[in-house]
Amino acid sequence: MTQPVQTILLVEDNEANRNMLVRRLERAGHQVTTAADGETALQIMRKQQPSVVLMDMNLPIMDGWTACREARLDGLIRNIPIIALTAHAMEEDKQRALEAGCAEYATKPVDFPDLLAKIAAQLDASC
Amino acid sequence: MAETDQPEVWARRILSSAEPMLAAIARPTVTIDPPMDADVQALEEGFVRVRELLAVPTPDMNHDLLNLIGAIRGYAEMLFEEMSKLHPVMKETLPALLAAVGSNQITLEMPQVTEGPLPRREAPGVILAVDDMPENRELISRLLSRVGHTVISAESGEEALELLETRGVDVVLLDLMMPGIGGAEVLRRMKENEDLRATPVVMISGRQDMDQIIACIQAGADDYLLKPFNPVLLQARISAGIERKRWHDREEDYRHQLERNERFIRRTFGRYLSDDIVDQLLEAPEGLELGGDLREVTIMMSDICGFTSLAEHLPPTDVVSLLNRYFEHMTDIIFEHEGTIDEFLGDAILAVFGAPRRRDNDPERAVRCALAMRDAMDTVNAANEAAGLPVLSQRIALNTGTVIAGNIGSEQRAKYGCVGHAMNVTSRIEGQTDTDEILIAAATRDHLPDGIFILGEPRELLAKGIEDAIVTYPVLGLAP
Repeated sequence: MTQPVQTILLVEDNEANRNMLVRRLERAGHQVTTAADGETALQIMRKQQPSVVLMDMNLPIMDGWTACREARLDGLIRNIPIIALTAHAMEEDKQRALEAGCAEYATKPVDFPDLLAKIAAQLDASC
Repeated sequence: MAETDQPEVWARRILSSAEPMLAAIARPTVTIDPPMDADVQALEEGFVRVRELLAVPTPDMNHDLLNLIGAIRGYAEMLFEEMSKLHPVMKETLPALLAAVGSNQITLEMPQVTEGPLPRREAPGVILAVDDMPENRELISRLLSRVGHTVISAESGEEALELLETRGVDVVLLDLMMPGIGGAEVLRRMKENEDLRATPVVMISGRQDMDQIIACIQAGADDYLLKPFNPVLLQARISAGIERKRWHDREEDYRHQLERNERFIRRTFGRYLSDDIVDQLLEAPEGLELGGDLREVTIMMSDICGFTSLAEHLPPTDVVSLLNRYFEHMTDIIFEHEGTIDEFLGDAILAVFGAPRRRDNDPERAVRCALAMRDAMDTVNAANEAAGLPVLSQRIALNTGTVIAGNIGSEQRAKYGCVGHAMNVTSRIEGQTDTDEILIAAATRDHLPDGIFILGEPRELLAKGIEDAIVTYPVLGLAP
């Protein structure tokens, strides 16, 4: 079974963290594009149709919560799974993310093997 | 768990846990190979940003700190995944950082990491700590063992000197003030001892003894440390000392190698060459390669007339003592005349003049040597008669020609020797030389200066395998 190239969109405003995650994801064999704010993230999602989005919730210009809600209303990108990344390991954030339309949820600093497993699960589900 | 801390407190703890690693990778001797060097660099940048944030707080500081900690953790984990490719100091220092950033990886895989170990030096050594205070010895031992050194200690100067006699020590940490033999005296005795002179010494003392410290440095101490020790300074001095010692040891090895070579040359050639020729060879050892070169030499061959039949009627011990006495005398004479003994063949001696070193008077020295050998027979025979052994007579033939001279044989068993037609011709001449006679080929005669030797009438010899007749002259003696 041949698959189209699967791209991950990483939305993260913190440069150090973004660079690190790109490097780690690429080392794990993924193709990665990036955005630093919610609005740019939505544009890229519409144009490039990434397979999975990793989205920090705390973003400038348009935060992750808003971007997620908008994505769910847009027929073009509605089905792209979004994994929310937040710094707050609290049950209410997890609930909030799922309500905003995120498919999964991970806390920062990320447990990378756990994140990879969540990405793989979303890629499987969307195929 | 680390995550429950305030980000600021957490970040400060991570910084201090990272210090050994940052110090280690800042050392010029530690190089991180690509592709990991980019990650190490990113890691360092992460720490710089954390420091900046802590120094100048911003409203978003906690958020930014958490992101930076996340980045640091990510890079640290990536490096951890490539642990096998890392420099040893990274391997040593990374676990402490991983533990501090709260990596799950580390708590699962390396639970034994508790406190951050200091970076291990690349070259651990044996350190002798000499101090009369037990707590000082303990402190030094603890600080240095932690970074991989082996520490032995002595509580007095006497004990230190004893230990130095028996143990290989890389650096001595020497307390200045001790009862009995003090540090300055231990230092003086070390410098007087050939074997200990090169061992680096770091003096330890209080600030008030600065004058004596200076005297010790002048007397050959390499460095000093003031009490109470600064652990970092202590380790730096030790490392420098070990480096010096290693350098010295390498020099020493090199010198021993040269001496071994010299012994080899003496062993290989000592039997065949006179001492001064060995010395000349030692100055140009590249001449010792296997193979040879063409050169003109004067060849001498001598034997004892009728020795084979003589030997048949004598017990073996008498044969051996007869031969040894004869060879002993002849060898000395040949060496005196700077000849090279190629071989002893039964009762025959094969020697050359002009190899390995050529001189203008090679033929003349060879003839003088032959005359001296003939004269020496009186001494040899007097000793034989005294021992109840038969009297011997010898004959000597000389020839001059071009031969291949060099180390002939295998790597394992090489021997300096000559081969060539001129050697064979000499042997033929010798076969036709009369008892007590010295017969020289015309080729040798042509190279002799006039008026030194008295020669007899020429004699033409016919020899098997040689077409032309060989013209020879008997040597009668030295001209008056």
